[in-house]
Amino acid sequence: MKGGQIITRRLLPRAVVAESKVDVVGRVGAVARRKMGRCGTVELYFSFDDPWSAVALFDLAQRVGRHNAQLVLRPVVDRGIPDDPAVELKRRYALTDAKRLAGRLDLELTRSEPWDPIAANLLAEWVACAPQGSTLTRFCLEAMGRLWFSGEGRPDLGGLWRAEMGDQARIDGAKAVRRNERRMRMRGIYDVPAAWVHGQWFFAHDRSAQIEQRLDDLGWTVA
Amino acid sequence: MSARLDFFYSFRSPYSYLAAPRAFALPERFDVDLAFRGVIPMAMRGEAVPRAKRLHTLRDAAREARRLGMPFGRIHDPIGRGALRCLAVSEHAIAAGRAREFVLAAGRAIWSEAVDVSRDDGLQLVCGRAGLRWDECAAAARNEELLARVQANTDELVALGHWGVPVFVFGDELFWGQDRIEDLERTLRAAGLEW
Repeated sequence: MKGGQIITRRLLPRAVVAESKVDVVGRVGAVARRKMGRCGTVELYFSFDDPWSAVALFDLAQRVGRHNAQLVLRPVVDRGIPDDPAVELKRRYALTDAKRLAGRLDLELTRSEPWDPIAANLLAEWVACAPQGSTLTRFCLEAMGRLWFSGEGRPDLGGLWRAEMGDQARIDGAKAVRRNERRMRMRGIYDVPAAWVHGQWFFAHDRSAQIEQRLDDLGWTVA
Repeated sequence: MSARLDFFYSFRSPYSYLAAPRAFALPERFDVDLAFRGVIPMAMRGEAVPRAKRLHTLRDAAREARRLGMPFGRIHDPIGRGALRCLAVSEHAIAAGRAREFVLAAGRAIWSEAVDVSRDDGLQLVCGRAGLRWDECAAAARNEELLARVQANTDELVALGHWGVPVFVFGDELFWGQDRIEDLERTLRAAGLEW
């Protein structure tokens, strides 16, 4: 075997796995945050037109709420592997799979077709420029609920925004979405829904229990 | 007669490795006939796997292996000749009634012992652990007919509208991922197939 192959086939994979076990920065950072009285954070990168994101949002809102931690919502539009030939297949399969995952949470995913991506972009822009907190989380849960768990129609999300968020300005939303997308890529995340938890990222619909375990491991145990 | 359950698997997929012990245990709990279907790795089918995905897959698989109590980390990537030889020998192992033993032994060797299955000594070690005769396995590794079966498996996965592995197919339902075995089990239970 050539030297290059030894590096790419043997040494690099082993180095990546070894490096993934090193968690000093995450753990020291968590200790420092707790000493300052700050809570843990779970940053959720998600899209409104993605059924997996809908399931992840409902699941994580419950799980994170049990810990001394905050769910930080980072909507994105541009995601996935560039020029992925399987993108349409994945979007179709996501509906089937998300129905099963929703069933685990006793939810019924009612939409049978992918949702309008243009309308989803607009919603992402509103949310991306709003202040984080329980009001925004409540709005996103209600919006996702109306989109994915309440029939097939086009819900009045503008009305919902006014009811939940009042006169909250919706300016520079596109820039805020781009900022979220840049932050996501810089962290090595290439698709949604993804959760960034103090130095480690997880696919949020697949690993919600592991995300909760990470909060426990970092000291933000169930309240 | 047992219900058929197809298990599409790649020797280059760490998630296939993580799924395999639970997949092969399914017939002990459910009235199913598990059909092992080895497929050619995505990267050998001309499909791009970006760096970010490769890195995340290894890190996430390492975490999942720890959670499942499976050895992982001393890796030798079998892409190319190694993967093809394992695929051909797996077809021989099916005929010899040793598919489970071979697939589990090969997975452990590739993902936790850095065994180079593209070399004769590496593949011979795996075949020996699986209780297969080396002379037959060496012939199988060169057998074009067996590789044609692997190509047919791969074509069938693509025809099902799927791209990755591991994939389970039960009737007209498809389950993608080592973390979807619990959903598959729920479906098998609902079909009245639990022993």
